[in-house]
Amino acid sequence: MTATAPAASTPDWRSRYQRFLDTVFDEPASLRAVAIVRIVLGPSVIWHLRPFLADALEGVTYLDVFQQKWWPWVPNAPVGLYVALLWVGVAAAVLMTVGLWSRTATWVTLAVVAYNFFLSETHFRHNRAFLIILLAGVALCDNGRVQSLDARRRRPPDDRALLWPVWLLRFEAAAIYFASGFSKLIDPDWVGGRVMHDRTLRYQGDVRDALGDTLADPILEVIAARAFQWVLSPVAVATELFIAFGIWFRRTRLAAVWVAVAFHVGIEVSAQVEVFSVIAIGALAIWAVPSTRDRTLVTPSSWVKWFDWMARFDITVVPGASWRMVDRDGTVLEGQQARQFVRTRLPATFLFSRFWRYP
Amino acid sequence: MATTADAASGAAAGEPPHPGQRRPLWRRRGARWFAAAIVVVQLGLVANGYRDPHNYFAFQPFNESSTFAVELVRVLPDGEREAVPYGRWEGYDWDELIGWRALKGPWSQRHAFSGVDAVVDYLDHALDWMANNTPNDTKTLYLEATVTYHRNARGPYVTVIRSHERELGDL
Repeated sequence: MTATAPAASTPDWRSRYQRFLDTVFDEPASLRAVAIVRIVLGPSVIWHLRPFLADALEGVTYLDVFQQKWWPWVPNAPVGLYVALLWVGVAAAVLMTVGLWSRTATWVTLAVVAYNFFLSETHFRHNRAFLIILLAGVALCDNGRVQSLDARRRRPPDDRALLWPVWLLRFEAAAIYFASGFSKLIDPDWVGGRVMHDRTLRYQGDVRDALGDTLADPILEVIAARAFQWVLSPVAVATELFIAFGIWFRRTRLAAVWVAVAFHVGIEVSAQVEVFSVIAIGALAIWAVPSTRDRTLVTPSSWVKWFDWMARFDITVVPGASWRMVDRDGTVLEGQQARQFVRTRLPATFLFSRFWRYP
Repeated sequence: MATTADAASGAAAGEPPHPGQRRPLWRRRGARWFAAAIVVVQLGLVANGYRDPHNYFAFQPFNESSTFAVELVRVLPDGEREAVPYGRWEGYDWDELIGWRALKGPWSQRHAFSGVDAVVDYLDHALDWMANNTPNDTKTLYLEATVTYHRNARGPYVTVIRSHERELGDL
């Protein structure tokens, strides 16, 4: 390397960094991913508020039980107002999902969920913290421009808006996987299998209750073995760290999404995590490239339009035509290859696309 | 990493600027500072999770397989220690007052939600809360809980926590 190389490379690095920041903060891009997260969050919020509402219907609120305030200045709402706020949260969540007064509804939903959360430290759960983060990120975006009743009532010129909150959400989502994985990596009890093994032994009764002795016996013989957990624990840690880093890079993103879905399904089956699995899987949408209709597709099947929620394709349906897809870089795929590619890019089919191949 | 090309879409040369691009400079700069602040705060919270027993917003779920059990006594002004079997005393019921699964029924061994340190801290605050919210109990000077725990199957270890002393004359 010559002596002038570092001087020459510095401005290049800086200008690329500056261009990246300009793109993140000033370039509008498609909001479809945000709209999908917004739609998923509505039912999740209702499910999250459900136990608080159920208690309230039985006459029990946070004022009747142990409360540990986060900060003394957070005001305690009287019972009537508190219950009304919960119902306002439910109504706002419904409006948020259908996309009516989307942005206002999202802010109201966030306000109710956050207020309820910060009333008492006993309301803390990791999944609820993530729910608040997602609501805040979606609220910061002009999220009603697409996939909403707002967009039907007053069609905006396009589905683009500034997406810097999505980059923040990406950071938050990756930070969560990293924080979880790294904390376990540096804990010898965790990475060495002790924690998982002990938990498995403690909850094996639940496995028996759920599956019955005949089915549970062979399963428990494997998963309750110390050696199995000695292998599984570092795999679990590696999984979280792979998602945290792999999801940033184009080459590994699809694999990371795949692993993340399997990971969350596994957690949902084996533990009680409230709305975490649903919102975490829904939030994977934010990793989609925020551009739309930049691939052209000629297809004989009209079903593609119904499943192309992220508007990945500029679709022309021609009855009797063979499949033909032109990618962003000009690559042309025809027939079965095109069909297979389309499946890998549709939210409803991409998970199964690797297995679902025509002969 | 997702690149600049990832994010840019449809902004062909010659197009009029998108409404979002016509924001005043203070808003554009404000967004950057806000985002930077969020990143710093989140990283700080993640780091704080190694100090804070509750690891709030530090995202360390399923961190321990620890268990705990509590023996609760009420200490009277004359120093007498009266056991509180199953958390019931003077018409009060611990489980009803706690109203939170993580601390319900701690008389038999149970999983420590978010780890032993978090549970002990919650119990400490819960004892104070109980002392403040049981006005019909005119005898108890303070509540004392002996917490026996296993940390990731190691132990048992024992720690004792107390509520603050109550002003019995005021009750």
